[in-house]
Amino acid sequence: MRRRLGWSFWLALGWITLILAAAATADLLPLPRYDETLVGPPQAGPGPDHPFGTDGLGRDVLSRVVYGARVSLIVGIGAVLLGVLFGAPLGVLAGYRRRATDAVIMGVNDIALAFPALVFALAVVAFAGASLLNVLIVLGVLGVPAWVRLVRGATMVFSEREFVAAARVLGARDRTVLWREVVPNVSLPVLSYAFIGMAVAIVAEGSLAFLGLSVQAPTPTWGGLINEGRPLMEDAPHVVLIPSFVMFLTVLAFNLIGDRLRALTDVRQSNLEPVRRRQADRLPARPHHVEEDVLLQVADLRTHFTTARGAVRAVDGVSFTLQRGRTLAIVGESGSGKSMLIRSVLGLTPEAGTRRGGRVYLDGQDLTELDDEQMRHILGTRMAAVFQDPMTALNPVRTIGTQVMEPLMVHLGMKRKAARARAAELLASVGIPEPARILRRYPHQLSGGMRQRVTIAMALSCGPDILFADEPTTALDVTVQDQVLRLIRRQREERHMAVVLVSHDLSVVAEWSDEVIVMYAGKVVERGPADSLFERTRMPYTEALLRAVPKLTDPAHHPLRLLPGRPPDLAHPPSGCAFHPRCPYARERCSQEEPPLFQAETLDHLYACWYPVGTGAGVVETSPELSGASGTAEALKAAEEAAELEEAAEAAEVVAEAAAELETTDVIEGADSRGR
Amino acid sequence: MAGSGNAHLRPPGEVVLRVEDLVVEFPAGRGRSVHAVSGVSFDVARGETLGIVGESGCGKSTTARALMQMPPPLRGSVRLDGLELTALRGEALRRTRRRLQMIFQDPISSLNPRRRVRDIVAEGPRVWGAGADRVDEMLTAVGLDPATAATRRPHEFSGGQCQRVSIARALVLDPEIVICDEPVSALDVSVQAQILALLEELKERYRLTLVFIAHDLAVVKNVSDRILVMYLGKVCELASGDALVERPAHPYTRALLASIPRGGLGLPPADQLISGEPPSPVTPPSGCRFRTRCPAATPLCAAEEPVMRRIGTDHWVACHHPQETGEILKPVEAPQVARAPEAAFPQPAEEAEDARVPKSPKVPKVPKVR
Amino acid sequence: MIALRLVRLLVVLLVVTFLSFLLLSLLPGDPTTQILGLSASEEAREQLRRELNLDDPLFTRYLSWLGGLATGDLGASYTTSVPVTEALAERLPVTLELLIAAQLVALGLAVPIGVAAARRAGRPLDQALTALSFGLLSTPVFVLGVLLILVFAVKLQVLPATGWTSISVDLGWNLTSVLLPAITLGCAQTAVYARLLRTDLIATLQEDYITLARARGLSPRRILWRHALRPSAISLITAIGLNLGALIGGAVIIETLFGLPGVGRLIVESIFARDYLTVQGGVVLISVGYVLVNFAVDLVYVAVDPRIRRA
Repeated sequence: MRRRLGWSFWLALGWITLILAAAATADLLPLPRYDETLVGPPQAGPGPDHPFGTDGLGRDVLSRVVYGARVSLIVGIGAVLLGVLFGAPLGVLAGYRRRATDAVIMGVNDIALAFPALVFALAVVAFAGASLLNVLIVLGVLGVPAWVRLVRGATMVFSEREFVAAARVLGARDRTVLWREVVPNVSLPVLSYAFIGMAVAIVAEGSLAFLGLSVQAPTPTWGGLINEGRPLMEDAPHVVLIPSFVMFLTVLAFNLIGDRLRALTDVRQSNLEPVRRRQADRLPARPHHVEEDVLLQVADLRTHFTTARGAVRAVDGVSFTLQRGRTLAIVGESGSGKSMLIRSVLGLTPEAGTRRGGRVYLDGQDLTELDDEQMRHILGTRMAAVFQDPMTALNPVRTIGTQVMEPLMVHLGMKRKAARARAAELLASVGIPEPARILRRYPHQLSGGMRQRVTIAMALSCGPDILFADEPTTALDVTVQDQVLRLIRRQREERHMAVVLVSHDLSVVAEWSDEVIVMYAGKVVERGPADSLFERTRMPYTEALLRAVPKLTDPAHHPLRLLPGRPPDLAHPPSGCAFHPRCPYARERCSQEEPPLFQAETLDHLYACWYPVGTGAGVVETSPELSGASGTAEALKAAEEAAELEEAAEAAEVVAEAAAELETTDVIEGADSRGR
Repeated sequence: MAGSGNAHLRPPGEVVLRVEDLVVEFPAGRGRSVHAVSGVSFDVARGETLGIVGESGCGKSTTARALMQMPPPLRGSVRLDGLELTALRGEALRRTRRRLQMIFQDPISSLNPRRRVRDIVAEGPRVWGAGADRVDEMLTAVGLDPATAATRRPHEFSGGQCQRVSIARALVLDPEIVICDEPVSALDVSVQAQILALLEELKERYRLTLVFIAHDLAVVKNVSDRILVMYLGKVCELASGDALVERPAHPYTRALLASIPRGGLGLPPADQLISGEPPSPVTPPSGCRFRTRCPAATPLCAAEEPVMRRIGTDHWVACHHPQETGEILKPVEAPQVARAPEAAFPQPAEEAEDARVPKSPKVPKVPKVR
Repeated sequence: MIALRLVRLLVVLLVVTFLSFLLLSLLPGDPTTQILGLSASEEAREQLRRELNLDDPLFTRYLSWLGGLATGDLGASYTTSVPVTEALAERLPVTLELLIAAQLVALGLAVPIGVAAARRAGRPLDQALTALSFGLLSTPVFVLGVLLILVFAVKLQVLPATGWTSISVDLGWNLTSVLLPAITLGCAQTAVYARLLRTDLIATLQEDYITLARARGLSPRRILWRHALRPSAISLITAIGLNLGALIGGAVIIETLFGLPGVGRLIVESIFARDYLTVQGGVVLISVGYVLVNFAVDLVYVAVDPRIRRA
């Protein structure tokens, strides 16, 4: 609550306090009376005797401004209170009850809004006189419809939230639900709008005064002062400018407070959004070997953000390669950096506050060296993406046709007619019936599965070499998921392209990919061919994830292996191995040193763990002295990747022993038999 | 699928919750309506967990809300220990609500952001004028520290912890039935397992009766004693989790299972078991609602709606042409008939026809031949 | 749909005109004072009241006025005897021209400002533009008008401070006379529009479909103008609708300040003159305008966002 109101808020609050205090104590201040003429020479500019000068009748402008503040503030605050007093209960009622109550209240409200405010104000003032109270009532009443509408909207938002349903489930009465669940949530937005409303009311009062319809002379009002000063504009502009400026500052202050309070209600802020842009200075890349004959090579890719809570290493030194015709899966829980990884590869990270490092090679060409224009060409034609939620992946206001045709026209230079024909072919190729009809549709007219097929068709439109699919089926039903993943595989085979599939679902990954990367806290913790990784798991995190998922083949009520804790706070990742606080096998070393990637016995299977599962390394404590066996080829390769020499030696030992022990044992059984 | 009928219901004395012919419709404009739930029946015995599984739009969450009478169903009966809830209004309904509690899908949205966590859990006892003595016990039971909960608000907790708070809030009133509506779908894999384990543990400890609704069949199977499969507002199949996974009889159940990656169940690929898109619930198909996507559909399916019938020990299906289960049923009066082991798919209509089994409430358990 | 709208228009019209009839009848004094002067005898006034049917019960008078309305006859002004329809027809073009010109100014400024600020959200340009619109937002329109007059009419003497030249008289003079009022009114609305557009654009630019458009290699300019702007325009359209609806009779400040013979001023003058029929005519014009603008906004919504096609 106390966060980030900002200095402007306090400054504004200070100004309002000052004006309020001055208005309240005006009679006690050493000021001339506001209506006393010729306290100084007429039309005198600001000076020591009269800080704000005098007006045409020689009255002290400062005094008149201070007394004028009374009218402005009383009307401003009073009108809002009156509006809220009548508008808020009606709005809450309409928003909470809905149906008939809502229809009646909003119907009346609509008529009230159609009634000319000016006629009402003039008639009341003419009928009952332009007293302070009448002006206040007029402006208050005129504000009621707006308040009803506003409070109703806010109430509706919160009434739909499940905590309101939950309170009713508990058996709470409607009245209790309203007072304890709805009203506290609605009150903050109402408070913020109250300040903005006060600004509006002060301006409205000023307008009435300007027309001579507010509190009558001799009582000074700000609007009146400005109106009176108009004839003197040429000779004594201060008579107009000073009240104008004071009024401006006051209105600004009320607006500012309202705006800052409203920012507080913005629930979207998690404090992990990148803050303010800093020109993307690149993180230095560690030396690496550029592979030949691979389609995609990612080398030491890093993406760091500056956030309100500190630096976040969303992607931290990820390397992998990908061949044509293969599917690489990236798995991890929320916050593992898997989505950010593919956005980084594609160069689509948010610009603000982001620092990127490392290299991305497509057929040996370093994409990180390209400028925006060159990168756009690559993105349009060689690398394509499909995202999680097909609901948000298509532009809601453009037809399917416009969207599918666009890349064809932009990148392939097709004419409209050719593009339309090609778009229809594309839709047909992803299994959409009646493509010509669908092209004229809008996204909301299609089902989720159809929309995802459309986004796939768009991604494939310019014949990409790599399709990046970020949780393409998470928002879809399981039968549709099967259809979509089947489609992606078929397209991969037909087009001989590569696929990068990001998913949180291990069974999806196991079924549909060739190679797998497991990510945790922005790092690769295990990587390898799918069968090796799932059958001879090394990293305890991967193992834990596999066992935490209920399996269909398990009997009912089969106890799940629990992975305690939750994914780490990226702003403050644990030291050493980021997984160590949750790891059942963790020892002292895990919290101190970060493990490099070791080579497992299967080719290309790597893992980042000091005491991997199923290797015997986990029982090291019973045999403190490891044998000094010389490393295998894989172990040497792993050693290369280790940052420090000592670590490398140790790593080689671990790997060697692992390789020896594993030749005969079934990994999972072996791990279990050790009583883990 | 898409069947009606109440053959699968157990005698009222054996169950704590009995739902019959539940119908929920919503206005869809222009005088039409969304047929969200159309004649769903099921029951839950005390201490049992009933899983309800189905894809989006099948009416499972609407069913949950209708059980809570939020809003009350258009037609049908919901009886809690013999008490007809749909007949209750106002104060009487409110007083009954505490006996049925609910856990929601979105852990963040289901907690009031402006209240402290302990107050959220203590709200139930407060409403009912009970002391808050169980509140701390409940917080501890769900794995939260009461001292922390007294000062913190929901946004300071993770999704998993918020779901624990929801569970504590529901259980503190000592309800007879807890309805869990997708309680783990919004959670990470590791946290999901923790919550499932917690529910199992609490169920033992407080002898809870659960209705567990989810779209993930593996999750449902893990916690349920019996599973109800729903499609487009109708019931397809009811069986124990093991029977359902090992011997799925309804074409939709089979499609659902086959779609699960790494299901490892020896079913044909899913694209041979289901086609097309779900029809609109505003204009559902005649007869069996699954027939438009079913490879085994015949004219009979369009003409006549299948009703629930028994095809195995506590295994019920609403289909004119169910897949053979391989289980031998011994009807009370009919001679024992041996069945061929897995028949090829799709099942010819005639062959399926004679798989009909006379309805009989008590059928002796017969070992299956396979 | 259309029928329902017409029914609503009629209901609004009936209720609003009756309420204003009631309200006006409560005012002290009547047109006779204005017509005959303060010195007229009570008999003469009584005579005139009878002639003007002012002595009929309120409801009878309302019904007969309503009968006139149905045939398009709004009566004639008590004071000037000019038919009300004629008086309104004379004033309406002034107000409409002012409103349209002001909206052009407002949108012409607000769209570039909003877009520029949203593209560089959080950076110095955005902060400067945000501060600027906050300042404009907090400047009462009469203060702004006075300042602009001070600068352009008094000091620089490039534009007339007050007065109106009809478009039928001289286009050039007409434009000069509408320029300052339109800028004043437009600037005040620029702030609101720019802030709304900026907020919505920032939200839109974070949508998946924008990231995906970038992933398709489309240029930032294309993404901004073709993909992002339209889905971000809903609040802006709402605000324009509300403004137009409210300003048909409410631009009176500007009209007074710049001496424009618009509808707002006509109504104010008529109320002071107790010229009920003219006021009633103005009320009809305003409420019909309000309902029509709302209708037009709904049509624009549908054109801009196909998801709103129903309800």
